[in-house]
Amino acid sequence: MVCANMEKYTLIITEKPDAAQRIASALDLKGKAKKMEDNGVPYYAAKRDKPIIVVPAIGHLYTVAEERSGRNYYPVFSFKWVPRYMAERGAKQIRVWLETISKLAENADTYIDACDYDIEGSIIGYCILKYACGGKDDIAKRMKYSTLTKGELEKAYAELLPKLDFALIEAGRTRHEIDWLYGVNLSRALTIAAKNWSGKYATLSTGRVQGPTLRFLVAREKSIRSFVPTPYWEIRAEIEIEGKIFEAEYEKDMIETKKEAEAIINACKGKNGVVESIDFKQFQQMPPTPFDIGALQSEAYSLFGYTPRRTLDIAQRLYLEALISYPRTSSQKLPPVINHEEILKNLSSVSEYKKLTAELLAKKELKPNEGKKEDPAHPAIYPTGNLPERVLEEPERRIWDLVVRRFMAVFGEPAIRQSVKVCINVNGQRFFLRGRQTLKEGWLRFYGPYVRAEEVLLPQIEREQKLKVKRVILEDKFTKPPPRYNPGSLLKKMEEVGIGTKATRADIIQTLYDRKYVRDERIVVTDLGFEVLEVLKNHCPTIVSIELTKRLEERMDKIQTNMEKRENVLLDAVEILKPVVEELKDKEKTIGEQLSNAIKRARLEERIVGQCPICGTGTLMILYSRKTGKRFIGCTNYFKKMCNTAFPLPQRGTVRPLGRNCRGCGWPTVQIRIKGRRPWNLCFNPECPLKEERRRRNEMQSVQ
Amino acid sequence: MRCKVCSRDAVENDYCELHARAYQSIMKKYEVWKRALEISWKEYLSEIAKNPFTGEWAKEVAEHLLKGGEEESGA
Repeated sequence: MVCANMEKYTLIITEKPDAAQRIASALDLKGKAKKMEDNGVPYYAAKRDKPIIVVPAIGHLYTVAEERSGRNYYPVFSFKWVPRYMAERGAKQIRVWLETISKLAENADTYIDACDYDIEGSIIGYCILKYACGGKDDIAKRMKYSTLTKGELEKAYAELLPKLDFALIEAGRTRHEIDWLYGVNLSRALTIAAKNWSGKYATLSTGRVQGPTLRFLVAREKSIRSFVPTPYWEIRAEIEIEGKIFEAEYEKDMIETKKEAEAIINACKGKNGVVESIDFKQFQQMPPTPFDIGALQSEAYSLFGYTPRRTLDIAQRLYLEALISYPRTSSQKLPPVINHEEILKNLSSVSEYKKLTAELLAKKELKPNEGKKEDPAHPAIYPTGNLPERVLEEPERRIWDLVVRRFMAVFGEPAIRQSVKVCINVNGQRFFLRGRQTLKEGWLRFYGPYVRAEEVLLPQIEREQKLKVKRVILEDKFTKPPPRYNPGSLLKKMEEVGIGTKATRADIIQTLYDRKYVRDERIVVTDLGFEVLEVLKNHCPTIVSIELTKRLEERMDKIQTNMEKRENVLLDAVEILKPVVEELKDKEKTIGEQLSNAIKRARLEERIVGQCPICGTGTLMILYSRKTGKRFIGCTNYFKKMCNTAFPLPQRGTVRPLGRNCRGCGWPTVQIRIKGRRPWNLCFNPECPLKEERRRRNEMQSVQ
Repeated sequence: MRCKVCSRDAVENDYCELHARAYQSIMKKYEVWKRALEISWKEYLSEIAKNPFTGEWAKEVAEHLLKGGEEESGA
């Protein structure tokens, strides 16, 4: 521990340990900050104009909590900010952490908040300075940076902001307090109602953003589940040109009656086609805009299938290793101050980027194709130009490569593409043959593997040319239900309607899964999800109103620019909440019954494994033996004395039906999860051919 | 009064809110199917009951209507 008689130093507070280490190393004149530890809490000592101590937080160390203790009551309208260990189970280490920070603060004479420059970072720094450092929030300075590169950190340290951004802090405090008030009151109302009715505890939750998000999902689910398709027909003709077969579509995309479709087929039977016209169209495809966090999350989901939460975590790791800029940004701007040229020069040492960066650096001017969205605190996500100091894991490498290529692509020229539409007349019926080709690659070259542009090249065709029709195909079709949301498209939707923040949206989606309101990657709302929304819609429609949530968001945003007062927003939010909570309390019995039944159904649903492959009519379920309490898989027809099928299950860990059948034998499968081990999928058919195959393979290996 | 298909409270045509919505979809689409395929009400119900794109609730209502032998009017 730093001695009490040591020279006074500057205390820098960061949000995470990795950032502390980066900042300390960047500021130390020799580039070698000394790692120290107090009670397992790491901090770093650096030497510059004077000694510097950099101490990290581990995210939020303080949180909002009720003034009175206990979890089994509501409404709750009085709250205070407390250390997290006082409000949350499992946050014991926070006490030691805060003690270390307090000790380090005693001998400091200058205080700098170097947490991420956004709402969350500002609150983390503010709370530590105010509560753990004895009210140093008034005199503390602020370090503002968007990357953890040495150059930018040195610059940020040299040009410290004279005080904390109190408007940002006020906005953040209000958001946390309002979210806490809504979350705690509504969630307790639901949980207590269910518990008082059934006598069993199950965590139910909703919140200011969670409710409206669930509402989108339920609305989509209702459309899907009550969907009735419409029949239609599609006709295509196979045309032979220069020995190759091309497919031409009939002029009408959808033919509404079978009669009409058959008449067209009959008219084309045995006839050849004549080229009636050829239309060429050229169009420009502008480069993409730089990544904001939402766009990065959507792109990573569609390219790699990563959930928004996963992409954010990976991007955060890359940021902490100074490979990319701060990812929690809503900006689509890349200001010149970040030095585009320097970044490209640095990236040119990677062989895959060498040619591409050289091409960009040869341009007279580097002008990014910026989007409209701005963020007062950070630019769009961009590569810092630093190269990885270790071998990146595959997901990290993919996200880094995506950020690098997107950065290069935004400086590219527009791509020029050409579409061709050949109209072929077959006995009075028109068919279109379409081609698509890139004439000038432009930015597409830089985005490389991530470009989704289809190329369909057509041979030379002339007007009046006669073409052989090999066959005409009639296809029965049906309209499809609206697509299900996936975590990526849901995040986009939340962003579009303006609910949640860039930092919270991914977590809110995850909570919907954790509470079992939704399941699967292509999101399906569970019975429990339906019931919770129905309760909220019937008893407190304002809470799930997208309009209300959006209006509150806008007002909270205005606090950041001093256009709205924290007290007013907080008071109005409480005024909205009070009657809602009263209504929930009045109807506790009805709500409790509704939710308890839904929980019961949901728990039952969770135990259904699939159809019994032995009797074919029963359902396989995870059951518990009355004698031993052990779990096993059994057929529901056992209770009708029709089927004795039963299979043992591992007794440790959790078992989850996978909802898909084994590829070897077609039996239903389950997934087993045991703490500390990788989850594995289990086919419980003892005679599964895959098991036999594996057994033989193992035997062969042991012989060798 | 309980829904004819599930155990929820019935709100319209003896269906709960969810199945009533599906019932309305079924009624609305019949004209389109009749024109497209020249089929009867029963044939229509059988078709949608086995169609993979038909939603779960619409299937349940179609199956219920088939079993009950209800007429086109839903009477």
